[in-house]
Amino acid sequence: MTFDRTTAIAVRVMREIVRDRRSLALIFLAPLLVMALVGFSFSEKQDTLDRVAPALISVFTLLFTFVLTGISFLRERSQGTLERLYVTPVGRGDVLVGYLLGFLVFAALQSLIILLFTVFVVDVNYRGDLWQMFVVLMVLTIFGVNLGIFASTFARNEFQVVQFIPMLFAPQIFLSGVVMPVEELPGYFQGPAEVLPLTHAVRALREIMLRGEALGDVMSEIAVLAAYATGLLVVAMATVRRT
Amino acid sequence: MASEHDNGGRGGTMRGPEQRPAVEARGLSFAFGRRPVLRDLVLSVQPGTAFGMLGANGSGKTTLVRLLAGLLKPDSGDVRVLGNPPGPGFSDRIGYMPQLNALYMSLTVRENVEFFARMCGVKDRQARTAAVDSVLELVELADRGRDRITSLSGGMRQRVSLAVALVHTPPVLLLDEPTVGLDPELRATFWKHFGRMTREGTTILISSHTMDDASHCDRLGFLRDGRFIAQGTPDELRSTTGVASASLEDAFLHLVRSGSLDGAPSS
Repeated sequence: MTFDRTTAIAVRVMREIVRDRRSLALIFLAPLLVMALVGFSFSEKQDTLDRVAPALISVFTLLFTFVLTGISFLRERSQGTLERLYVTPVGRGDVLVGYLLGFLVFAALQSLIILLFTVFVVDVNYRGDLWQMFVVLMVLTIFGVNLGIFASTFARNEFQVVQFIPMLFAPQIFLSGVVMPVEELPGYFQGPAEVLPLTHAVRALREIMLRGEALGDVMSEIAVLAAYATGLLVVAMATVRRT
Repeated sequence: MASEHDNGGRGGTMRGPEQRPAVEARGLSFAFGRRPVLRDLVLSVQPGTAFGMLGANGSGKTTLVRLLAGLLKPDSGDVRVLGNPPGPGFSDRIGYMPQLNALYMSLTVRENVEFFARMCGVKDRQARTAAVDSVLELVELADRGRDRITSLSGGMRQRVSLAVALVHTPPVLLLDEPTVGLDPELRATFWKHFGRMTREGTTILISSHTMDDASHCDRLGFLRDGRFIAQGTPDELRSTTGVASASLEDAFLHLVRSGSLDGAPSS
């Protein structure tokens, strides 16, 4: 892996996203619309909104990041440029880390918009520090970027990437404490729930937002999430060669 | 039959009979699932040669180019480019132009070419700028450097794609149907440049199904059903028909109809 190639790929990815004005607008508008809808839906149930907000912020952060990355990376493959890159000395690490850095800027902005809009416009009550919530979301965002890249290596077109959404997200939404707390799930679901990365993101964000805990208190959750993000990057390196 | 280092009167000044082939394939077989695409294919291309791989659609040309580029792994047999198996270790020595243009559509012409130059290890900014200027001049797109790919015609995109393959001046070029979509004038210009490159020692492998391209090559291989049914210089292949005025198309059809490798020129 070389610094020069990795940064060149990251800059190129960012440049492509910035040039695509319509997609750029959607990257920022879509999360706003979704979170506004959430706000209106719960406008007369502030307590419920406060309780579900950390879970919804986590789910939408992961979902938007996954879609942004999965589709963009697939385009690199379907337009043949990834294949062309592989007839240069570029390594898988260069490609993946370059993409990760390139997408991360936009995915992080997207996550920040979701967080700030939820807290200040939807007006969710919170106790912890905003920057600490953002740190949790950043780790989740890195996981989401890697998940998008990983999933797109198994898809041949955009339709197939979209098919991954119910497969990857439905179990997490039902089991990760989004619909109800993990502790209230039937016993046989509690084990699998602990394996899901979103469970740890929701729990960490909930602890900071609702109980005012600090990052140090949720370090074990963040460590699990970071391990998933790193693991996916390593696995993606093994699968990304598929052309 | 001409000797291996005779390239039909064009170039070859840097070559000798003892030279190791620039590109070599032995017993190369490849299948997509159960469908065999290449069968026990043999290929040997000397440095500084323009070798044309000709065949109908589906004859295995693109698969062969991708195997030589290291994008596919052979089921059996061996591929060597400059004495090494193709792969990331020395792929900066290969210039690859795929059939699909494979360009970043929202980037400009210059940004595309510069990006791939950087990927191929042209780190120095000044050297890179000079290389990009030079190659855009070559493909006659120097005045379109700031235009995005989306605003270019198909032929212009083809030229950008060629520029990407050439920018790091690799000793081996693998070009998959590079002249498709080019007007006759530009096609002639391309071949003039290809001729100059081979004289300077660059080895060029071109897949094509047009006999116009074939006539410019130093050596040709007629590919059918996953193997070369004949290899030789254009003159050698024309002579297989036994008709003095025969064209390469006549030679190709003659060899296809005879359906045998016997009696055909071969490397």
